Amino acid sequence: MAIITVKNLTKTFNIGTPRASRVLDDISFDVRGQTFVSIVGPSGCGKSTLLNIISGVEEHTAGDITLTGDTGKPARMGYVFQNPRLLPWRSVLRNMLYVQDDRSPDTVARVRRYLDMVGLAKNGDYYPGQLSGGMQQRVGIARAFAVEPDLLLMDEPFSHLDAITARGLRAQLQDIWAQSKKTVIFVTHDVVEAVELSDRIIVLQPGGTIYEDITIDLPRPRRASDPTVATLQAGILGRLEDMKKRVAAGPAA
Amino acid sequence: MSTTLGDAVRPGRSARPRRSTTELAQQAPRWQKLFATELAARIAAVLAFAVFWVVLSAVFARVPGPIAVVANLIDEFARGEVFGNFGVTLYRFGIGVVLALVAGTAVGVLMGLSQLSRAFLESPVLVGLSMPAIIWSFLTVMWFGFGDLSPIVTTFLTAVPFVVLNVFQGVRGISRDLRDMSASYGVPFTRQVRELVLPAVTGFVATGARYAVLMGWNGVLLAEWFGGSGGVGYRARYWYDANQFAGFAAWVVLFIAFIVALDRLVFDPLVTRAFRWRDAR
Repeated sequence: MAIITVKNLTKTFNIGTPRASRVLDDISFDVRGQTFVSIVGPSGCGKSTLLNIISGVEEHTAGDITLTGDTGKPARMGYVFQNPRLLPWRSVLRNMLYVQDDRSPDTVARVRRYLDMVGLAKNGDYYPGQLSGGMQQRVGIARAFAVEPDLLLMDEPFSHLDAITARGLRAQLQDIWAQSKKTVIFVTHDVVEAVELSDRIIVLQPGGTIYEDITIDLPRPRRASDPTVATLQAGILGRLEDMKKRVAAGPAA
Repeated sequence: MSTTLGDAVRPGRSARPRRSTTELAQQAPRWQKLFATELAARIAAVLAFAVFWVVLSAVFARVPGPIAVVANLIDEFARGEVFGNFGVTLYRFGIGVVLALVAGTAVGVLMGLSQLSRAFLESPVLVGLSMPAIIWSFLTVMWFGFGDLSPIVTTFLTAVPFVVLNVFQGVRGISRDLRDMSASYGVPFTRQVRELVLPAVTGFVATGARYAVLMGWNGVLLAEWFGGSGGVGYRARYWYDANQFAGFAAWVVLFIAFIVALDRLVFDPLVTRAFRWRDAR
């Protein structure tokens, strides 16, 4: 598990040029322990940028961000991207080993165990080109879990998949998460998906500020068809509509 | 009312059912099945060239015909000139090309990964690309004399800029997504080079190698022509100076045959193997 502290975080692109744009504006939040947090918001509100800053791929402009793991050392991270980002010239197994620290027999056994968890135990020698989109994304999920991270970052991992495949993968993700209980930060534009998966939803609004921080206190496992889930989803969607109207009306509103 | 493609293409005519590929293949005439193949096309190209050569030699007295060329080639084999001279050229060419591949790949990767390296090396590479092989051969003969070093260095200098350029383009083309993925997982730099960069540029290295061979071959022959002691270029010049065009053409045919064989028997399988992940289904 991980402890993430974000304090007054700001990110501005193209600083000092006429095209400068502030994507994240003075946001602060904490994430602690074995929890599933979704970050939701309309396109362009800074969700993926926030995830990239947390992962270290992007630098932030101002503020502080600390990530620590169980033992107090820097948090170890796993990342699941929108598209699987597999090395096309390496087999599934070698793709998973690419991000591991070593290739000891224990590591290989662990990697195979996670491949089995996503139902791809027999596909270790396949190249990514021989797999469907859903299967490739399952490899991406297994790869992230197999590094046994303190923190798992997921950037709209199901957005490019068809509805049936995405639904199956969400259920599988919930099962794997229930077994491994990592800290997960999950970016999505889909409120329905966020409610199904999360313990907490942080809503970002255009301008890169936090609109709302919602705790989801529903029992697991959850399915989208569950009436309680549906009611909560409707409520949150209504609040997002209010946010949109407020943003459209401008600062005076 | 019919809505088949046939109606749309030829209004007013009744639609014909489309035939399957199996049906088309079965109904194809026998000559089409025999001659409309890749192998047949390649054989036809060689035969067409041979016919063209015969016609050319019949029209122009200074162009030796294929029979005279082959006869000279057989004489050269009988004199023991072929294997010895070819061996000498291959030795020089091999060293020059291998050095060009190693150095060119290293420089190309460096330029692709480092902005500063690229700024530093771009101009020398451009100079290398612009320099004709004949100039390199003159310079190396002046610098190193008539031994092995001149053809080896000419081969290297002629080939290396092409390897650098191809590998550099390959590294530049590596997916940003894969590089970000590697960074986000903290994959060590050496493993990134080994597992991400080098496989990604394999195709470009293969293309660079092909250019290295073609340009390098020009370089070694020119260096041997102007300053070689022995070798294919030296022997071709011997016949040229003796005004024996059939003898000269015999060596031209020999080294073209070598390059074609190298391409078909070495590069084709190498490239196929390098890209087996792409063609896997």
